[in-house]
Amino acid sequence: MSMSTSDLTPATHSPQLSTPLVGFSSIRERILENVVQRTMAEFSSNSLDLVLGEALYQERLRIKRGRDNLFTRGRSKRDKQMLSAIQKGLLRPPGQVDRHELLRVMTAHFAEEIGGRFDTRIYDFTTGMLPIFFNWLLNAASLQQFNPKKQRDLIHNQLIINGEVDHLRALAQHGTILLVPTHQSNIDSVLIGFINYLLELPPFSYGAGLNLFNNPILSFFMSHLGSYTVDRRKGNAIYKNTLKNYSTAILREGVHSIFFPGGGRSRSGAIESKLKLGLLGTALEAQTENLIAGSAKPNVYIVPMVMSYHYVLEAGSLIEDYLAEAGKHRFIITDDESFQPIKVGRFFWKAFTQHSKITVRIGRPLDVFGNFVDEAGRSIGPNGTTVDPRKWLTTRGVLCKNAQRDREYVLGLGAKISERFHRENTVLSSHLVAFSYFEALRQQYPHLDLFRFLRLSREQRVLPLSKFLEFAEQQRSEILKKALHRELYVCPELTMQDSQGDSFHGERVLPAWIREGVRQLGQLHDAAVVRIDGDEVFTDDLTLVYYYRNRLAGYGLSIRASELKGQLQGTHDRKGFLA
Amino acid sequence: MTEKDFWRKSQVTVVGGGSWGIILAQLASANCQEVRLWVRDEAQARAINSTRTSPKYLLGTSLPANIRAMVEPERALAVGEGGVSAVIWALPSSVAREQARAFAEHFQGSEMLIHATKGIEAGSLKRISEVLREELPCARVGVISGPNLAAEIARGEPAATVVASNYQDVIEAGQELLSTSKFRVYSSTDMIGVEWAGTLKNILAIAAGALDALGMGWNARAMLITRGLAEMVRFGVAMGGETQTFLGLAGMGDLMATCGSPLSRNYQVGAALAKGESIDSILARLGATAEGVRTVSTVRDFAVERRISMPISEGVYELVMGKLSVREAMERLMTRPLVSEF
Repeated sequence: MSMSTSDLTPATHSPQLSTPLVGFSSIRERILENVVQRTMAEFSSNSLDLVLGEALYQERLRIKRGRDNLFTRGRSKRDKQMLSAIQKGLLRPPGQVDRHELLRVMTAHFAEEIGGRFDTRIYDFTTGMLPIFFNWLLNAASLQQFNPKKQRDLIHNQLIINGEVDHLRALAQHGTILLVPTHQSNIDSVLIGFINYLLELPPFSYGAGLNLFNNPILSFFMSHLGSYTVDRRKGNAIYKNTLKNYSTAILREGVHSIFFPGGGRSRSGAIESKLKLGLLGTALEAQTENLIAGSAKPNVYIVPMVMSYHYVLEAGSLIEDYLAEAGKHRFIITDDESFQPIKVGRFFWKAFTQHSKITVRIGRPLDVFGNFVDEAGRSIGPNGTTVDPRKWLTTRGVLCKNAQRDREYVLGLGAKISERFHRENTVLSSHLVAFSYFEALRQQYPHLDLFRFLRLSREQRVLPLSKFLEFAEQQRSEILKKALHRELYVCPELTMQDSQGDSFHGERVLPAWIREGVRQLGQLHDAAVVRIDGDEVFTDDLTLVYYYRNRLAGYGLSIRASELKGQLQGTHDRKGFLA
Repeated sequence: MTEKDFWRKSQVTVVGGGSWGIILAQLASANCQEVRLWVRDEAQARAINSTRTSPKYLLGTSLPANIRAMVEPERALAVGEGGVSAVIWALPSSVAREQARAFAEHFQGSEMLIHATKGIEAGSLKRISEVLREELPCARVGVISGPNLAAEIARGEPAATVVASNYQDVIEAGQELLSTSKFRVYSSTDMIGVEWAGTLKNILAIAAGALDALGMGWNARAMLITRGLAEMVRFGVAMGGETQTFLGLAGMGDLMATCGSPLSRNYQVGAALAKGESIDSILARLGATAEGVRTVSTVRDFAVERRISMPISEGVYELVMGKLSVREAMERLMTRPLVSEF
């Protein structure tokens, strides 16, 4: 099915609260205690001195490397206090200080940090505030256009939500939803909250990066809307297990959850191809435990979600970060961009005033193994069969957990989600403009590797308009072919019939999608990402073009992709470009 | 319940009543409660159940009483509440997809599925485990492959094999069900390598048959096996397999058995080709499937596209296509530019 937000009447009431999140404060203590118990049990067979010592060392290193600001100082202080206590304890003999007690202290500390809260009053307040906030934004935006009648249409035109919305709603009745979105920008988190509200979905618990909580206002709302924190910098085993156990615990309670399976934001701009399997595995674990316990609604459903932007706030710093990693310091890392409220405001402002559409697709739901699921929540097998998850979880005739088997299942699920991300992706005109310009320019310099190519001079980056247009149209027909085979989706501009909405550029005809794509592409950046001037196409920042071009990596469209066979997603060609 | 207890009491289904399928059923019957053998032909099923021997293959082999042959897939596969514990898939590659589609509804998902097909899906280059995974509602799939000439195992001669799977569950099933005092089952996690090794050696077996038919001797055969193995490794690694798998039972082991034994069908095809018989008449005469003939053009096309050097397979391809005689192919191989061995 397909729908846009214009089919929706904006909610005047708060969405129906039908999840355990509502009573979360009453079960929070029990869940956290459960998480601590489980985590401690997992380390019971290890040498605790070793485990604690390692965690202590890694945590000290993390704190030493990190920089505190006004809002994180309190948290760091509590971290340091806990670490000092552990250190003191470890220095005394085990006879005097019980190692299990130390483990409990550390685990409880992490669990407390991870664990979210849910406050119905704040949820109601926020969902009540949202329409006012967006109305204000729309009013302000439409004033600029001197056409007050347009304001209601604006939001419907600017945010396009396609895909399996009804399916998602139906499944929420049959089990627990785990929404797994692609992750490009910190804006994603705000956008997901907004989509949730627009679609009137039940509230979700939300695994959000700890850095988002540095902003006190966001932190207040997020931590009271059932979100929990994920700190990717904490790499120690105790933290990781505590986090996984928390996720498992809330999924088992039937709390619909969201986390970004790719970990952080995509650095390259490409759709995620390597997912964090640890956290993903909690879905299978929760379902298995539910099945063994005989729960009424044991199933966890995984719903991929793909967001497409013309413009990504942090594109510049993300791609530099990526190149620094890929080029082993041939590129210098500049300071990471932080979460700046003014930039976020500008983003939404521009989104509504400049018709910069955001396209979101809710993907086909999957079960914990990666099979598709029907509206009744049954897993669909090949050739009209139904898969009974119990049977797949049976080893030697017994329904059970099995570490080796389950690892393989999660591996399969990860691969499936990555494949679905690529297939549920909506290609925007701007992506195709960036891709076409970049690849056409590459054809001029076939021998250059990525890093030499990105250092082309201003003159060398000029492409004749005729060549660009020809190449771009070729690429468009390739993309449309892929759309026909359901390998991806395209925005409406790309499917327009020939010459509809075309305009003249000098003597040449400029197709509407190219004009629109050039206008939209990263329109908030200081430099022009792709510019058409006279008979020339060029860019002020080739690195940014690479970032936006990468959105179409993994489809076998780039000029050297034919040299590679098999898995293309996430692989590089011989010259170091994402294939 | 220990591993052994569970498998001793289990129900196992063997799909396919060819010589290898019957041998696998016989091996499993010693280690489980009951084996249900699915065969296509009603008369064969009746003959097996009444005479305890297969009329078509391996005369003289006596089949134990806990093997029951049947033609209805629903009887063979869907047994009781728990279903069968393991399914051994012993059909030729040409019918894998079609037969899996037909049987899909009878699978429950708790079966350990082990296939014994030494071939791939022609054209698509898909391994049989991939085909089965696509067509059946089963996640846990594995493969059995090795130097296992059915007639010798039927005589009770010692032999060894490999069961490969990503799932320890499947490996356990293969080892518990098929091991006997005369048959040793090793494990591996390199499914890709094992499946491709079993496929690629069939091509070389055709070459071996041809060399022997012309009496070219031990040096020539040793050259063929060693250089052929190098080709197998190059191709297998390009497909994602591991080098060491090709040095094991499924690679080197199977290659030596197949290239040295006139019992192998692919070997017989090569021998007949060397004597000038046409491929059509050979296949009509032999009746049984010679996987190497089916595989060679798919493999060769892919090798050309990916620029994987496979001169021997190229020679076999031209031989099977009738473009070259054995002597011409040999001459071409011997006069290639001189290169380093590794």
